[in-house]
Amino acid sequence: MSVKGLHKIIYPFAPDQSGAAAVLYELGGMIIICDAGGCAGNVCGFDEPRWLSTKSAVFSAGLRDMDAILGRDDLLIEKIKKASAKIDANFVAVIGTPVPATIATDYKALRRMAEKRTGLPVITIDSNGVLWYDSGIEKTYIECFRRFIPEDNAKCIIPGSVGVIGVTPLDSDSLTSGKRIIETLRKKGSRRVICYGAGGSLDDFADAGRMEKNIVVAASGIRAARYLKERYGTPYECTDPLITDVRAGLPLDTEELYGKKVLIIHQQVRANALREALLEETGGLSDSPEITAATWFSMFDEIAEEGDFRIREESDFFDRVRDGNWDIIIADGSFRKAAGDFGGRFIELPHFAVSGHFADEESVRFYN
Amino acid sequence: MITEPYSITIRELNEAGADNIPPELVPATQLIYSSPATLAFNSPGATGFGVKRAGLAIPGSVMLLVAPGCCGRNTKLLSEIPGYEDRFFFLLMDESDIVNGDHLARVPEAVREVVDYLDEKPSAVMVCATCVDALLGTDWDRVCRKAETLSGVPVRPCYMYALTREGRKPPMVLVRKAIYSLLEPAKRDPRTVNIMGYFSPLTDDCEMYDLLRQAGVKKINEISRCNEFEEYMGMSRANFNIILNHEARTAADDLAGRLGIPYLELTRLYQTDKIANQYSAFAESIGAVFDDSEFRERAERAVADFREKYGSISIAVGEMLNANAFELALALVKYGFKVPEIYSNVSREDYVFIRHLAEISPETRLFTNLSPTMLFYDCSRADADLTLGKDAEYYHPDCPNVPWNEEKQPFGYSGVTRLFEKMTEALA
Repeated sequence: MSVKGLHKIIYPFAPDQSGAAAVLYELGGMIIICDAGGCAGNVCGFDEPRWLSTKSAVFSAGLRDMDAILGRDDLLIEKIKKASAKIDANFVAVIGTPVPATIATDYKALRRMAEKRTGLPVITIDSNGVLWYDSGIEKTYIECFRRFIPEDNAKCIIPGSVGVIGVTPLDSDSLTSGKRIIETLRKKGSRRVICYGAGGSLDDFADAGRMEKNIVVAASGIRAARYLKERYGTPYECTDPLITDVRAGLPLDTEELYGKKVLIIHQQVRANALREALLEETGGLSDSPEITAATWFSMFDEIAEEGDFRIREESDFFDRVRDGNWDIIIADGSFRKAAGDFGGRFIELPHFAVSGHFADEESVRFYN
Repeated sequence: MITEPYSITIRELNEAGADNIPPELVPATQLIYSSPATLAFNSPGATGFGVKRAGLAIPGSVMLLVAPGCCGRNTKLLSEIPGYEDRFFFLLMDESDIVNGDHLARVPEAVREVVDYLDEKPSAVMVCATCVDALLGTDWDRVCRKAETLSGVPVRPCYMYALTREGRKPPMVLVRKAIYSLLEPAKRDPRTVNIMGYFSPLTDDCEMYDLLRQAGVKKINEISRCNEFEEYMGMSRANFNIILNHEARTAADDLAGRLGIPYLELTRLYQTDKIANQYSAFAESIGAVFDDSEFRERAERAVADFREKYGSISIAVGEMLNANAFELALALVKYGFKVPEIYSNVSREDYVFIRHLAEISPETRLFTNLSPTMLFYDCSRADADLTLGKDAEYYHPDCPNVPWNEEKQPFGYSGVTRLFEKMTEALA
């Protein structure tokens, strides 16, 4: 029995504050990582591949020990006010980290004070650096939909419109994913496609209640889609429009799958979509592969199949791989070492939130 | 709405004085722009030798990072550097740990599990702690003692407390102390010295080695050149320590107090006349005489050759490089070049260079990497033929650049020589 929380091989994944920043990065707001500096460093220097190519107003709050110990929220508000006078931002977002989580920062009060002093809409995300990126994405989408959809938004549905939730670099296989999803859906007949947070603007959120339907491409978007369904009646579907490309990129022939026991580890929507694609290829035959989807991140019963599982600890991963009798494991390459003496075939399916690498990118970050 | 990046001329900065540094240049008064240099400057584990990598300077040591997952995320980059692949381990906190400190009870057992997991027993386990424990007020000495008893290997804390970056003992000071903390009293050898301050060695061609040998020194220790733990422990025998980075002062004080090893401090400079003065004072203090003429001549020839070839070109200087941006700018101006812009944080200690720079290049503009207004920086308005530093490259992506941030550390005349060689390569 391993010590709870101990990781000997697998490195930590993208944290929730990175997920929150990923949703907001292109929206034209002032993004403040409420930290001492290290968390902003991680967001920009590691988890945000757009940072090198696309400028965004991402700032560190620059908290110091006495700010935290004395709870100097007023000083932070003053800094925000000063910066908002210089930056043409359409909103302010304060993203939490372990420091405010430890001192129990009152985000509601912070939001009210900041709105009063800056005159800008302010959102706060109570991320804490302990949870993984999907939690931050989920909270941020929901908060953006809550704050930025006007009250009368649902009055008329835009015909042929699709909202896409979950497109962030952390769940994508390249920086062009948003663009490719839009092209794919347009080819299929959608007249207006909005990828929230990817290549669009804050105005896109204002129309979120008028979409004909929503597509959720990553499990981190499911709760936001549920919110839109409950609030505006917008139906949603969990699917991966790029799965054909993803499948084509795997060095795996159809005949290699027959009769095999396969484990796919990714975020739940992509793992499911890949399973579906592989089963479709081998469909109808008695020796179709037995495919299980697993994830380290959010897992929803509504799209899970029997036997699918969530991994919570590194020791769970070791046990599941060792005891699962898998013939093929499809997962991010950084799990290969943790798979130990797994004797089957390990096929890499990159997941940026896990390894910080895309499938086909050259260097995407400053620190290399 | 302001759409210009904040900047100030060196003349104005000098006139304001060290006691009146404008608030736009003081980190505590503003949000901090996530520029490349800010990330390195403000984030103690982000790049190069931050706390995490520096903490592994002891040969054969491993690190257990005890933190929320976010603090360990970019460690993946470090693990891709040869020699660091299997040296990082993580004890991840959960949501209750960050409030009630329950993780502390798991640390000794986690250290033991890591030690048992490794094929070879590590020389030490460095426990890297982060902001959460800074706020919880964790007594890491106590926790590490317990872990040491349970695991049977030395366990030492490393404080990656970004919250204390502007405090009396910031993370990069304390980690320097931590990596020498295993040294024990030993019989001193008058012909042995330690060079301290960096986590990687001086460049092999650095004249420091020759000069020390001229003074009769037989063994020159640098922690980064110690391949085995025993070699590292041999640093206890040094007759004196040479500090090349002021952040090593606390470590040197500790060694002076615990082991009785005195120290002296040298500064990295790019002005050859000042380098000469410094070596002369150094030689005098240890009762030796250095002949540094050959090294000085080579450095000054490299400068002259470059100037002859390229004339008095404009060079923009950043701070993300192996130099003090102000001292380097001062040296370049003294050598006959123009320095239109400097991108740097500023401290009281920099005024020793700012004062001189104001006399000979008063219109040089200082931009601060920290300012949110750097979002508006427009390189087309600047006149730069060459940039020095990785941050300067970020602001001038199309301009020839010398990052000047190699791991092996430049120092003295050989640093000047190599810099001008690199500048020549960049413009070739």
